Amino acid sequence: MRQLKTYMTRVRTFIANHYLKVLQVVGFFILWQIIAMLIDKVFIIPSPLAVFSALFDPELAAQYKWIEHIVTTLTEIALGFALSAGVGVLIAVTISWSKLLRDIFMPLLVFFNSIPKIAMAPLFLIWFGYGIIPNALIAILIGFFPVVINSATGLNEVDEDLLDLVNYLHATKLQVFTKIRLPNALPYIFSGLKISTTFCVVGAIIGEFIAAERGLGYLLMDSQALIDTPPMFAGLIVISILALGLFGLISVFEGILMPWQKSSTAAI
Amino acid sequence: MRRIASLVWERGRTPITFLGFLVVWQLAVVGLRVEEFVLPTPLSAIAHLILPQSDADYHWIKHIAATLSEVGLSFMVTVVVGIGIAVLVAWSSTANKLFIPVFVFVNSLPIVATAPIILLWFGYGIFTNIFIAFIISFFPMVINTATGLNAVEEDLLDLVRYHGASKWQIFVKIRLPNSLNYIFSGLKICSTLCVVGAIIGEFIASETGLGYLIVNSQFTVDTPAIFACLIVISIMGLSLFGLVSLVQKLVMPWEQRVFTG
Repeated sequence: MRQLKTYMTRVRTFIANHYLKVLQVVGFFILWQIIAMLIDKVFIIPSPLAVFSALFDPELAAQYKWIEHIVTTLTEIALGFALSAGVGVLIAVTISWSKLLRDIFMPLLVFFNSIPKIAMAPLFLIWFGYGIIPNALIAILIGFFPVVINSATGLNEVDEDLLDLVNYLHATKLQVFTKIRLPNALPYIFSGLKISTTFCVVGAIIGEFIAAERGLGYLLMDSQALIDTPPMFAGLIVISILALGLFGLISVFEGILMPWQKSSTAAI
Repeated sequence: MRRIASLVWERGRTPITFLGFLVVWQLAVVGLRVEEFVLPTPLSAIAHLILPQSDADYHWIKHIAATLSEVGLSFMVTVVVGIGIAVLVAWSSTANKLFIPVFVFVNSLPIVATAPIILLWFGYGIFTNIFIAFIISFFPMVINTATGLNAVEEDLLDLVRYHGASKWQIFVKIRLPNSLNYIFSGLKICSTLCVVGAIIGEFIASETGLGYLIVNSQFTVDTPAIFACLIVISIMGLSLFGLVSLVQKLVMPWEQRVFTG
């Protein structure tokens, strides 16, 4: 009886805390269903039910080859993100090691970050042909810069007084790096990684828009040509879930690596 | 002499390093005899832009005009609609609580994936590209503006309410000036995103514009033309960004901001 009571309170606090979100999600689908029924033209907007059957009806799902497309896009995103993160942090560490390197490369990186790099996407098709590799590289092209710029900023924004103190105590450069710079940079690195997750998804999808024979971006363009809307909306949902999943994964890592910092998962 | 050199370095770091980058690129391509279709020299890209070419007519004016009008129109629509909706939402705290989390959530999604749906709805053409540019730059604009309108000191609000200030007065005299900084940072984000959106739209749904020219040159393996397009697109993005910074300086002279970018 008592257990039931605590259980009920927990449910109640959960509802009190999350009712707005639940309301928003339910409201969104109801609104969508109503709009779809009012317009009543599946080639303009499919109903949520049509979209879910495009995803889960075994026959339709096999026709749209969801597994194949999801695996392709996911591979591109994973490759792109892993390399963006690895290379980005590595380069940030390298250039923040010396003032000269920083002075030369930071302005260049900031400059390239501010131009619309996605316009370079077709170049990668000339260089690497169709397939997973060029699309992963397009993901890196736009996912790399937030990581490197954020990490370099974090590695350099260290309290000068603290550096003076440890220099006075004869700390080595490596000690300063591992004990002061790196912990100080962690929040910056993670915020860069979080931005990069969405960018990598966008890069992979745009690569598939322009030229691919597989992947969710290809499915969207292919269905567009066939005026088949349910898989387009379903694809949009799957892409969103991939992006949110990657974002959530990074947030989990952030929580593990920096338990002292309340993870800012405000977006979810 | 050394002081002048260090001053020049302090002020002009970005142009100097960028120029150095171009020189290294030019020398590397010439020195290593890289084929033009793999990687053209910067000079060859510029030549394709300003000199008439024997083997291809690029119609630069037409394509630049198309992209520029898309970027300009989408930027204006985003600014007006974005700020308008932010003001409406910030006006009521219920609307604020209901809509802002939704906007923030949607903003964290890869919105560009909606492009094929927009193409399906509106067909090929300039309107579709404007809409794609609008939809990817709209959310940062709304979120930034609404954040600025709400980031007001509670004590200040209490004070003016005590003096009987109307909601309108609070909005015009406190919320709006307070949010200017946020609005301009939103505008700067939009200035890049509108260019990106217009180009992506042209990639998938256009027969004019620089994005179309890039994809078309990819088919014909005309790499120098792609780089020429990239130069124009970058100049477009940077100019719009610079324009916003300039307006910011005029509107907010009290804020001496460092020009970054």
